[in-house]
Amino acid sequence: MDVILNQMFAGLSMASILLMIALGLAIIYGAMGVINLAHGEFVMLGAYAAWALQTYAGFSIIVALPFVFVAVGAVGWIIERVIVQRLYHRPLDTILATWGIGIILQQVVRLSVGAESRFVKGPELLSGNIEIGGLVMSNYRIFVIVFSLAVLAASWALMTRTEFGMKLRAVIQNRQISECYGIEAKHIYSVTFAYGAGLAGIAGALITPLFSTIPTMGTGLVVDAFLVVIVGGLGSLLGAASAAVLIGEATALFSMLFNDTLGRIAVLAGIIVLIRFRPRGLFPSNTRR
Amino acid sequence: MRAKDLYSFYGKSPVIQGVSFDLNSGEFLAILGRNGVGKTTLLKSIMGLTHRCDGGLVFGENDLLGLSTSQRAQLGIAYIPQGREIIPSFTVRENILMGTFARPDGRRDIPDYLFEMFPILDEFIGRKGGDLSGGQQQQLAIARALAMDPKILILDEPTEGIQPNIVKQIEEAIIRLNKDRGLGIILVEQNVPFARRASDRFLVLDKGRVVLSGHSTDLTDSVVEKHLTF
Repeated sequence: MDVILNQMFAGLSMASILLMIALGLAIIYGAMGVINLAHGEFVMLGAYAAWALQTYAGFSIIVALPFVFVAVGAVGWIIERVIVQRLYHRPLDTILATWGIGIILQQVVRLSVGAESRFVKGPELLSGNIEIGGLVMSNYRIFVIVFSLAVLAASWALMTRTEFGMKLRAVIQNRQISECYGIEAKHIYSVTFAYGAGLAGIAGALITPLFSTIPTMGTGLVVDAFLVVIVGGLGSLLGAASAAVLIGEATALFSMLFNDTLGRIAVLAGIIVLIRFRPRGLFPSNTRR
Repeated sequence: MRAKDLYSFYGKSPVIQGVSFDLNSGEFLAILGRNGVGKTTLLKSIMGLTHRCDGGLVFGENDLLGLSTSQRAQLGIAYIPQGREIIPSFTVRENILMGTFARPDGRRDIPDYLFEMFPILDEFIGRKGGDLSGGQQQQLAIARALAMDPKILILDEPTEGIQPNIVKQIEEAIIRLNKDRGLGIILVEQNVPFARRASDRFLVLDKGRVVLSGHSTDLTDSVVEKHLTF
């Protein structure tokens, strides 16, 4: 029984990280139809930014979060302005371009910081565990779960409760007429892309105590995040949240029943079956196509 | 607004070829012509929605051809496209509010006279735009345009495919906006009697060129016969 509860908690912890990464992907895809293959590298940049802030400025991860968000957001903003913006009418090429950007970012970090794994300390404040019977929950992982829910709520509020969100929704539904009413779609896209990148950066910073910080760390994570977005329904926030929990828990469950490798295969097989019956995901958004 | 030898392109094909017109502030210009002669393209060119434009197009002191669509809107040019193109998933209120995004002063209040002109919008303020009838959507599209407090209103067949009782209401509203509020208007219209009654001047397009223009009083039946019947 305890084993099951502990695995469920591990699954939830994984889900919270996937959710933060997938949210950025889902927002960027939902807004401009760009499949951002450099997203994993935004996660990696966030992790290295957290490492740099801790090593050179002595910031704990939590203090570093706003700086990481702004820094990785700025990188995203520049990439959107310089490259992605020129390719909106060629959606397939954005996949190739963002993949290339990802490789460049990886190599830049490998050449400048080094290929070896970097270590980032978790915050002292959140060290230790909460134990309920046989269930052991690390305080830090609980914090990450709560934080990811806060990020979800903030993203939802940004989309539905702010003027920026209203402009974004207008542009998604009818770009030409939005521009006829004073909305500069290019600016909206740039800011949205930067926001998605910033979220990935935050996720990267938060996982530094849990994962090893290496230049290729984003690649594996972004695959799982893509699975979350596809299962959830492209462009849907609610879908991303439920799919993150589903995939996190399924991975934990199958890993316990079989082993990590077979568990992984079982999850992928499960997703293929699901997509067979719900090709547009759990909560398809009806705004696009 | 003044256009001089305006060319407008989709890809490499020039759809508008050397159109010129001159519109003083507060004047009402009707653009007439058969289907497919470039009337809608001319309006889109004013908003910067075609691929490329050559020639001259100025609004007040501003050269429009160098400006983006949203910058043109912020100068006070309100465009009501064919088919209305309100945002179906936005409420009536949100649709009207969207118009205020083009206000250069950043104010977000909706003027009351919109609801006096179109009371139905007040009644349906919380409904989704997509749930309204065609005529109501057209009223909403006009209200959205007026919410930006424009200097000039550009309408593309505002009475097309709308039930007759609302057509009357919309026609009266357009005339009042021009006469009482002094709003400049450019109207593309198939309904010649309405265009003649409402406008100060007209121009007739054919194959992307102006074939005739003048005061609306000159828009006689023989002109209509020659240029506008099929």
